[in-house]
Amino acid sequence: MEILSLLAGGFAVALTPTNLMYCFIGSFIGTAIGVLPGLGPPATIALLLPVTYGIPATSAVILLAGIFYGAMYGGSTTSILLNIPGEAASVVTCLDGYQMARQGRAGAALAISAIGSFIAGTVSVIGLMLLAPPLASFALRFGAPENFALLVLGLMMVGYLGGGSMTKGLIMALFGLLLGMVGLDPIMGSPRFTYGVWKLSEGFEFVLVAMGLFGIGEVLVNVEKRVAPDVLKTKIGGLLASRGEWREAGMPLARGSLLGFLIGVLPGGGAIISSFVAYALEKKLSRHPERFGKGAVAGVAGPESANNAAATSSFIPLLTLGIPGNASIALIFAALLIHGIRPGPLLVAERPEVFWGLIASMYIGNVMLLVLNLPLITLWVKLLEVPYVVLAPFIVVFVLVGAYSVNNSVFDVGTTVVFGALGYALRKFDFEPAPLVLAMILGPQLEAALRRSLIGARGDLTVFFQRPIAATLMVLAILMLLSPLARRLLRARFQDVAG
Amino acid sequence: MARRDGIAALAMLLVAGAALYESAKLPFGVARNPGPGFVPWWIGLALGALSVVLGVQALRAGGAAAPAAGAARSRWGRVAGLLVALALYVTALAPLGYAISTFLLVLLMLRPLMRGAPASALGLAALAAGGSYLLFAVWLKVPLPPGPFGR
Repeated sequence: MEILSLLAGGFAVALTPTNLMYCFIGSFIGTAIGVLPGLGPPATIALLLPVTYGIPATSAVILLAGIFYGAMYGGSTTSILLNIPGEAASVVTCLDGYQMARQGRAGAALAISAIGSFIAGTVSVIGLMLLAPPLASFALRFGAPENFALLVLGLMMVGYLGGGSMTKGLIMALFGLLLGMVGLDPIMGSPRFTYGVWKLSEGFEFVLVAMGLFGIGEVLVNVEKRVAPDVLKTKIGGLLASRGEWREAGMPLARGSLLGFLIGVLPGGGAIISSFVAYALEKKLSRHPERFGKGAVAGVAGPESANNAAATSSFIPLLTLGIPGNASIALIFAALLIHGIRPGPLLVAERPEVFWGLIASMYIGNVMLLVLNLPLITLWVKLLEVPYVVLAPFIVVFVLVGAYSVNNSVFDVGTTVVFGALGYALRKFDFEPAPLVLAMILGPQLEAALRRSLIGARGDLTVFFQRPIAATLMVLAILMLLSPLARRLLRARFQDVAG
Repeated sequence: MARRDGIAALAMLLVAGAALYESAKLPFGVARNPGPGFVPWWIGLALGALSVVLGVQALRAGGAAAPAAGAARSRWGRVAGLLVALALYVTALAPLGYAISTFLLVLLMLRPLMRGAPASALGLAALAAGGSYLLFAVWLKVPLPPGPFGR
């Protein structure tokens, strides 16, 4: 009952004309960038961060969250119609969505995707609403050792689940921790790695790093590889799936929502992994796995509901533990910090208008996205006709002027360009920038927690294994670190036995 | 892939070496009272160890990558060109001011369009510079560098 009254308070915040407008703008921009390949949610959120400085914290977080979950809706449109995933989380939707479009079932694929996304998004918001407050209360028991163990586990999971090689993920996390240490030491306040440059004494501004890595970095990658999309001249036709198609989509939608919600809660999990796992699960459970890749309804319904559910549930670790699970959420974390709000267990109690306002805006945003998506499909397809050569300068200008506006400093513009070059280099060498960004933002917290734990325990390293919560988290982190080695040993053993 | 990983491992090993060297200059402290150099030193060490692991994995994978094709090289030229243009932009921003330097940067980026439709390129460059100026300088009151014609 208490939850309902808190939620009513949240709706009172989210339904003000200003917040409704920000929710609409966020959902609209999110859908547009979801449609456009080459500009992902982290880049867009980074680009718009400076714009949010002048608006209230709740409005800012409503706007940025709308961009994040809106992109999940938009990404599927181009996957289905053009075989171009606007978003990494929609890559897997291309497999069956595009085939459905080729068979003249584009309307059904789009409807299943949009309504499935709406159901999954709403289910996930309910889960977030029910799970976040008790988790936040639990996290209030954490001391420095628990916080350190949680941060280590979070970073390990980002490296483990972040896609690609775990070694590279962990290298990025460590590199990010080092970058996060530039500036004043969090305990004693002495300068580190500043080389006499006073601008560096406050460390690298996170917004500049993100705008460089995701904004300039993505433009550089796209400038290099740009090829004209092969547009399928398909007829969308009616936007209604048949009764049989809905029956086929029902269970995949339910499973995708649940799976996406669970994976989204894990740091490093998120929308991309959940969509792939949902696709694999549906194929495994299907009585007709041979239909997958040839226009199976479950191949659209499962992944699309999973990525939307995961996008929403990835707010849980941020709002309850103060741990951003992916790059977009890290940027929302930064936006809250800029507004003087520290996401974490105290957020629900201390700033209920932000927490419940955001939750209520997610319900509203999901309805807006459903209403926006289907009627505006022709507009989104038109948007794709804007050549990248025209789009890229506008993105770059927005990044550069945004970087300048952070501190009104040309030095900051230079910093952004340097991080843009770094972002490009990282992608060329198959390093994911997300663990770097997360580690950079969590670095000062991790260091402070480690040093406080050691000071409190008089240098006894076993402090992390003496308290049950910290010990559990540390053991999980160690198991995760050792898992690739264990897998290799088991495989070798198995081959020996088989040989 | 393996060759690229080898190069990446070497680069990260250098970063780790620099981190170890620089953090060794800071007070290290002791375990019961760690100093500012304590955590960066351990992170540098872990980064070095993982770089070695990546290098070993690259060596084991073996096989050099195919040499870059002409097309790939020319595309890389576009990236290098844009990076140079961005570096020039940073240098020119204060003396030339926001509007002029942004107009020139966008025009440079629109070179492919300049060949066929120069008027469109000039119009888009003016739109990008002018539109962003209106949004940030006029609406959001960001004091953008005024350049030679400003106050």
